[in-house]
Amino acid sequence: MGPGAHLPEQFLATQCNVSRTPVRAALKLLTKQGLVEHETDKGYRLASGVSLAGAFAEPLPDPEEAELAARIIRDRAARRLDETVTVGEVMRRYASDRRTVLKALGTLAEDGLVSRAPGQSWVFAKLPDSPESQSDSLDFRLILEPAALTTPGFALDQDRAAALRRAMVTLLAEPDDRLDGNRFRRLDLEFHMLIARGASNRYVSGVLVAHHRLRGLPGAAVSSNVVRLRQAMHEHLQILDHLESGQVMVAADLLRVHLRLSRSQRPRAANRGVPPLAIRTTSHDR
Amino acid sequence: MNVGPTIALFPEASFGAALNCVGIARALKARGARPVFICHAGFSGVFAEYGFQEYHLPLADASAPETYWQDFISRHQPHFDLDPDDQIETYVAPTWDAIVETAEQAEAPLFALLQRLRPDTVVLDNVVMFPAILRAGCPWVRVISCAETELPDPNVPPYLSGLPGDDQAQWRAFAERYNAAVGPVHARFNSFRTRHGVPPLDECRFLEPSPWHNLLLAPSILRHERQVPLDTARFTFLEGCVRQEAPYNVPEFAAGEGPLVYVSFGSLGALDTDLIKRLIAVFAEFPARFLVNVGAFRDAYRAVPDNIILDQWFPQPSVVAKADLFIHHGGNNSFCEALYCGVPSLIMPYCWDGHDNARRAVETGTGRWLHRAHWTTKELVAVMRSALEDTLMRETLKENARRMVPENGVDLAADQIIAVAFRGSEGAAPMIGFPDAV
Repeated sequence: MGPGAHLPEQFLATQCNVSRTPVRAALKLLTKQGLVEHETDKGYRLASGVSLAGAFAEPLPDPEEAELAARIIRDRAARRLDETVTVGEVMRRYASDRRTVLKALGTLAEDGLVSRAPGQSWVFAKLPDSPESQSDSLDFRLILEPAALTTPGFALDQDRAAALRRAMVTLLAEPDDRLDGNRFRRLDLEFHMLIARGASNRYVSGVLVAHHRLRGLPGAAVSSNVVRLRQAMHEHLQILDHLESGQVMVAADLLRVHLRLSRSQRPRAANRGVPPLAIRTTSHDR
Repeated sequence: MNVGPTIALFPEASFGAALNCVGIARALKARGARPVFICHAGFSGVFAEYGFQEYHLPLADASAPETYWQDFISRHQPHFDLDPDDQIETYVAPTWDAIVETAEQAEAPLFALLQRLRPDTVVLDNVVMFPAILRAGCPWVRVISCAETELPDPNVPPYLSGLPGDDQAQWRAFAERYNAAVGPVHARFNSFRTRHGVPPLDECRFLEPSPWHNLLLAPSILRHERQVPLDTARFTFLEGCVRQEAPYNVPEFAAGEGPLVYVSFGSLGALDTDLIKRLIAVFAEFPARFLVNVGAFRDAYRAVPDNIILDQWFPQPSVVAKADLFIHHGGNNSFCEALYCGVPSLIMPYCWDGHDNARRAVETGTGRWLHRAHWTTKELVAVMRSALEDTLMRETLKENARRMVPENGVDLAADQIIAVAFRGSEGAAPMIGFPDAV
C-alpha cells in the first residue's frame, strides 16, 4: 500500500474486527498527525510523501471511549453491571464524564450490544455466554457458515489462510500442559472470520462477522478440554486443505461436522441418584 | 493391526467419577488399549469430548429431567444443612433407593450392551453393583473413588458419618440408625441381585470388592490404619487420579489483589445460588481474588464484586494448581486434586462422603472444615484466613504433593487394569468369594 492509497472505513473495520466508529476515530487522529488525508467526497487516503517507517515511532493513544466501551462490556460479561444501567451509574463506576460515557455506549450500540431505554437508561443485549445461547449460536452458524462457503464466488484469502495454518501447526506442536486455550480461541475466531470474510454475499459476510465479534467478547468462550482443542484444530486444517485444493463442497461438509462436534453436551448438573440435567439441544442432535 | 484389549469404563453419572475415569482412560489409551465408556442415560458428551467412544444406556422413562431437578432441589436443599446422622433418613436412604432403581432399570440394556461389546475388562466406578457386570463373563475392576470409608474396617469410621476416628460409641449409634433406615432399600437391592442369579450382600453393602482387582482413590496422607490390612494382590491405593488439562491463565480481575481462592461445590453445589451469594458477600470484603464456579447459573448473580470472577466451567486441575486455597464440597476427586497440587482445602460438605473428607482434612492437617450453612461472616473470614496463613499446613501439603505427583494414580491404575485384562484372556479366573471377603 503506497502513498495516496484509498482507505475505506468498512474494509478497515472488517479487517480489524471492530466497528466503524473506532476506525473513523483512528483515521481522524492520523489525519491530525498528517499521515492520512481526507476529502469530503472521496474519503480517506494515505498522505503522499509519508514515511511509514517513521510514522509509528510513537505508540497510538487508545481513544478513551473505546477503552471505556471495552471495560463496560467486560464488566457486563462478569455480571458486575446489571442488565440495565443508567448513564449516571456508568459515570460513577468509571469516574468518567457524560460525553465519554455516551460515546462509549454509542459505540456498543453500533455493535448491537446495548440499546437505549426510556430515560437515561441503557439495556444490554443478551451475551452468548450461557449454555443455551451457545447452543443457539452453533445452530445459527450451522445454517450460515457452510452456505458462506458454497455460495458461488467464495474467495479464500490465501495469505491469511497460510498464516493461520502456520499458527495452528505451531500451537498443535505444544505439549498438553502448554496448549493455551486463549491462543486456541483467537485462532478459532480467526479461522471462522476467514470463512465469513470470504463469502461473496455481503449480508451473509456481514452477519457472520458481527456474530463472531460477539463470540469474541469476554465470557462468551466455550470451554473445551485439551483433547477437543487439538481435534478442533485438526478439523480446521482439514477444511483449509480442501479449500486450498478447490474442493469447496467437501470443505462445507467438513465444516458442518466440525460445528456439530463443537457442541458441548456436558450435562448442566449431575449427582448420585439423580438423572443428569441435560443442556437443551436441538432435535437433530438428540 | 494389533488391537489392544477393549476396556469398558462405567463410571456413575457424576462429574467426579467421570473425570477420574477419563484420566485412567487416557493412560489406558497411551498403553495401546481401547478404552470405551458406558454412560448412564443423559450423562453423555463428557467422554466424547475427550475423544472416547460412548455407549449410552437408554432412558428408562420420558420424565422431564428439569422438573425432576427442580423437585430434587426443593426437596433436598434443607436436608443438606443437616448433620450426617440426620441426613440418614432424609437424604441417604432416599438416594440409595434412587440408586437401586437406576441399577434395576439399567440391568437389561447393560447386559445386552456388554454381550454386544464383549469387553476384555469392565471398570466399574460406582457405589452399586449391576448384576449384568457379574454375568458378563469377563473380569471386572472396581474403582473406589469415594472416600476410603466406603470400604469398611473395624478401625475406619462408618461411611457417610463424618465421625472422628476415635469415637467408637458414636460409630455404633450411627451404624444402627443407618442400618435401620437403609435396611429396606438394601432388602430391595438383594432381591434384585437374587432375581438375576447373583448372591445377596450383607450389612447394607451395595457393592462388593472385585475378586480381580480394586483401585482406591485414597492418597497415603489420608489413609486410615486398618485393622484388617487390604491384600495388595487385590487392592491398590492410588495417589489421586489427576488428569492433564490445558494450562489455566488467571484472568485479570477488575480490582483486588492477594491470594487466589478457587471455589467450586460441583454441579450440585452450583444449583445452590443462595449459598454462593452469601459467600460472595463475604468474599467482597476479603483481601483475596476469588474464582467461583457457578455452573450454568451465571444469570442468577448481579453486582458481582471486582475481586470475584464467576464462570460456568473451569479446567479444575489447572486452576487448583494456581490457587492458594480451594473451597469445595469434599468430593473425593476435588479433595485429591487439592492434595495433588499441594493446596489447602476448606471443605463445606453437602452430603455423602463430603462429610468424611471434611473430617479427614482436619484430622490429617490438610484442610479446614466449615458447616455449609451454619456460619457467620466472622467465622468464614477467620477460617479462610487461618487456612491461608497456616505455614505448617502449607509446607506439609507441598511436601506431600512432591510425593504424589510422580506417583499419579492414572498410570498405576492403567497398569493394573491391563494386567487384569491379560489375566482374563488367559482364563485365570480368580476364586469369587461372596460376600465381601476383604
